[in-house]
Amino acid sequence: MSQFTQQVILGLLLGGIYVAVALGFSLVWGVLNIVNLAHGALIMVGSYITWTLFVNRVIRAPLLFTFLLTFGINLVIVSLLLLLFTADFRSVTTTYSGAGLHLGSVVIPYIRLGGLLVALVLAGILWLILNRTRIGAGILAVGADRDAAQLVGIDLRHLYALTFAIGAAFAGVAGGIISTFQSITPTAGDPYTLQSFAVVILGGLGRVSATIVGGLAFGLIEVLGQSAPGLGSGYANAIAFVVLVLVLIVRPRGLLGRLA
Amino acid sequence: MGLDMTALLEVTGLTAGFGSTPVLFEVSLDVQPGELMALIGANGAGKSTLLGALSGLVQIFDGDIRFDGRRLVGLRPERIVASGLAHVPQGRRLFGTMSVERNLLLGGYRRHDSGVRQDLQRILRYFPALADKMARDAGTLSGGEQQMVAIGRGLMARPKLLMIDEPSLGLAPKIVDRVMEIVKEINQDGTAVLLVEQDVTLALEIADRGYVLEDGRVAMSGRAQDLRRDPAVRKAYLGV
Repeated sequence: MSQFTQQVILGLLLGGIYVAVALGFSLVWGVLNIVNLAHGALIMVGSYITWTLFVNRVIRAPLLFTFLLTFGINLVIVSLLLLLFTADFRSVTTTYSGAGLHLGSVVIPYIRLGGLLVALVLAGILWLILNRTRIGAGILAVGADRDAAQLVGIDLRHLYALTFAIGAAFAGVAGGIISTFQSITPTAGDPYTLQSFAVVILGGLGRVSATIVGGLAFGLIEVLGQSAPGLGSGYANAIAFVVLVLVLIVRPRGLLGRLA
Repeated sequence: MGLDMTALLEVTGLTAGFGSTPVLFEVSLDVQPGELMALIGANGAGKSTLLGALSGLVQIFDGDIRFDGRRLVGLRPERIVASGLAHVPQGRRLFGTMSVERNLLLGGYRRHDSGVRQDLQRILRYFPALADKMARDAGTLSGGEQQMVAIGRGLMARPKLLMIDEPSLGLAPKIVDRVMEIVKEINQDGTAVLLVEQDVTLALEIADRGYVLEDGRVAMSGRAQDLRRDPAVRKAYLGV
């Protein structure tokens, strides 16, 4: 039983990372309609705010074009990072890196607990921005109806740049969390683009709560999946994506998604 | 006060449309300060396209638009709203998952003055039915209430000219009468109105003047009472 509890806790902790990783991705997808393949690279480098104006040009472009562009940005950022930091493995080690909270036979690593807390704080900040500020209202309005948003006087270019910047900044913080428990290399962010995609699909687009639920659920599925009898860690992703497909069959909008 | 009353809105030879296809051809019209102007015409005549061109959403190929002393052609939509021309689009186009209050506040997005809260109260005086629904998601309201929010959202920009596109669309006749009354009231309180309406009888009843648009061109214009009696208008739009 305590073995199971431990797995659930690890799953939720991993899920916390996915929440952090997917928040910015979900925002950019929901509002700009861009599936940002460069998100992983942004995670690795933090906020590349200067890119925003560039991405601005492809807002109304077909989906394939945004794929090409963001994939290209991904390559550029990764290459720059390779130049700057080389391909050596690096890691951030703290004095409490190995320590954990012991509750009976269950152990909660501090560093991962911290990651989860930061992720939830991030989610809270994003929720506050979107639901309690004028700019947030503008972002949601643009995501809901571009023309109507323009008719109330919202400057699309400004909002797009801002949204992408917020997404990039959130990616940057997620990158900080990840660096505390995983070795980093310029290409280490790429899997997180895929995870973000899965989290947003699973949770649903257009709400912060959907990203939280999607992220935690995805982490849980992954950890529980790999600890299932007869399966090894190699199956973690496979199991997670099978569950993802099953959820989509039952709830095409995701667990908490709204109609776009 | 000079004798030469300058028009609030003056459109001259406007040709506009989508891509490379014009929908409007050399349209000229004007709206005077404080006037209630009706724009009528069949489906596809270009009424909504004209409003879109005025608010910067539709491409302009040729012609000129002057509003309140400045040229609007080439301005981005948010600049046009800020200059005092608000557009309540066809089909309400509310932000359905946001509260009624947030929808209304978004109408004042460009404003930074302290009168925003006051204007919210003013809108509730026009639409008292919305008072206890401010926290509801706009998408959950009835069609009539949604139209009220849409008009209210337009008013929140404190426009000098409010353009309203087909407010009666999909509403029960009783609600339509009520909405039209309020449009008239808003106009009498000093805001010029450009009303696009399929219900020609109603539109010409409350309007001062009217323009008839046919196939993207101005086919007729004049005082509303004259248009109401015009045999061609009666035959084409009033079904008599």
